[in-house]
Amino acid sequence: MKHAVISCLHANLSAVEAVLGDIDRQGIETITCLGDLVGYGPQPNEVVELIRDRKIETCQGCWDEDIIEGLDACDCSYPSQLAERRGHMAHQWTTENLTDENKEFLASLPTSIRRGRSLFVHGSPNSQHEYLLPDMDAFAALERVEMSGADTLFCGHTHLPYVRELGNGSIRVNIKNASDREREEIKMTLPIRRIVNAGSVGEPRHGGVNATYVIHDDIKNDVEIREVAYDIDRTCEAIIEAGLPHVFAWRLSNGFEFAELAEDASHVCER
Amino acid sequence: MIERWALLSGLMGDLETYELIQKDLKNTHGDITLFVLGDVVGPDKNCDALLKRLVNPHRGDLKPHCIYGWWEEQLLAESGYRGERKADALRLNKGDDAVNALMNAVDPYYLGWISSLQFGFVELDCGLIHGSSKDVGDILTIQTPPLTLLDRITRLNVNRLFTARSKLQFHLELTDAVVDSKVKDLNGKRNQEHTLPKRAVIGIGAGANYTLYDVGSDQTHFLTVGDVTKSRGRGFA
Repeated sequence: MKHAVISCLHANLSAVEAVLGDIDRQGIETITCLGDLVGYGPQPNEVVELIRDRKIETCQGCWDEDIIEGLDACDCSYPSQLAERRGHMAHQWTTENLTDENKEFLASLPTSIRRGRSLFVHGSPNSQHEYLLPDMDAFAALERVEMSGADTLFCGHTHLPYVRELGNGSIRVNIKNASDREREEIKMTLPIRRIVNAGSVGEPRHGGVNATYVIHDDIKNDVEIREVAYDIDRTCEAIIEAGLPHVFAWRLSNGFEFAELAEDASHVCER
Repeated sequence: MIERWALLSGLMGDLETYELIQKDLKNTHGDITLFVLGDVVGPDKNCDALLKRLVNPHRGDLKPHCIYGWWEEQLLAESGYRGERKADALRLNKGDDAVNALMNAVDPYYLGWISSLQFGFVELDCGLIHGSSKDVGDILTIQTPPLTLLDRITRLNVNRLFTARSKLQFHLELTDAVVDSKVKDLNGKRNQEHTLPKRAVIGIGAGANYTLYDVGSDQTHFLTVGDVTKSRGRGFA
């Protein structure tokens, strides 16, 4: 059976509608959402209500958590102080515009969903704020999946869609000195595990402008990364109309998430 | 002169043991740096005399470089140094009596000093921590999965991690680590074989059991108070 995994919708209704349409056209009935329904985009209520109406099983993302807890997303995720200020503006705007009912819905979401040997999270099993990037240390990546008790870990948060398979691993453990044991050496085989990142529906960071999501075929055990074009102008106009920073529209239409990256190389996390 | 680190933990107010270790170290060859990896306080005896000695070392004492441990974390939390968090882990495991005993074992005068202690040290390519880079209460042993050990080392970007929380003494090396990574994204597919240099986790013991580490030769010596005097022939003294 095929199922679709979507993530990081970021209040971009046009993109969400386009992706759900693409999923529907393929006759896929099971959809899992990895959170970040809100933030940056201009239609948080519409997106939350669409997910609720469609009864899409969803786990909570970092923006969803931050909006209901009154926190700000970890500043580590902002590439500069300017980006951070704009992020704070988006946070404040979303807080003011999201209905209490939709906030309650976000508050009710679980931080993870387990289905058989698959685990679905927003960032990592450790934290909604941890980025599992495709080039992160392979052993650390393997640890995240293995320690969660899953064979396949589905995540989002990075906005970069990818499939990473980790296998053929081994390690030698050498107890060189221990007060209560003889010297001992063991060669251990490491488990085969997979990380699937669904990318982002509403705020792509893969260099292009299309929304992305993934389809998992659990019979073939295959993962397809899908790109979907959507009406970007419609979202950009809504961003301007809502009074959100214009750069949010500019980067959606140009495919550059880190538009402000070079402006402040000395920026450090406040936390 | 041989550069050595002396690493101890888990004194829990036991000044007598600390004095015996200081005595041992005076009889040990080498240029010794003393690291105290937490749990200098505990609920079972009054800790003020030991704290006084650590804060104001006697003439001739090796100067202790201290970090905080699990018991200090509980004490600081209960004393309001961790925001709204209290000594929940201690309360859960040992009940209110243990929390009260801990609070009574330490004069509030020393809370300022304890709160100034760091989570850990990074010396050369080594991390010196009470639990692990993940948490002060993290217990690492030779039974801990190798991937977990690697993760705790990688988080600190070091090659060796000295830990005390398990109270055990061990020197475990992780070598010949290899894993294949196949990534598929919108740009295509790429394969890479990942390897790691030798990494190690060293449990330093607790109380009367402490560790000497020869920095130049990467040798650990697991000692118990009084061993130095007995083992002059083995090269410690």
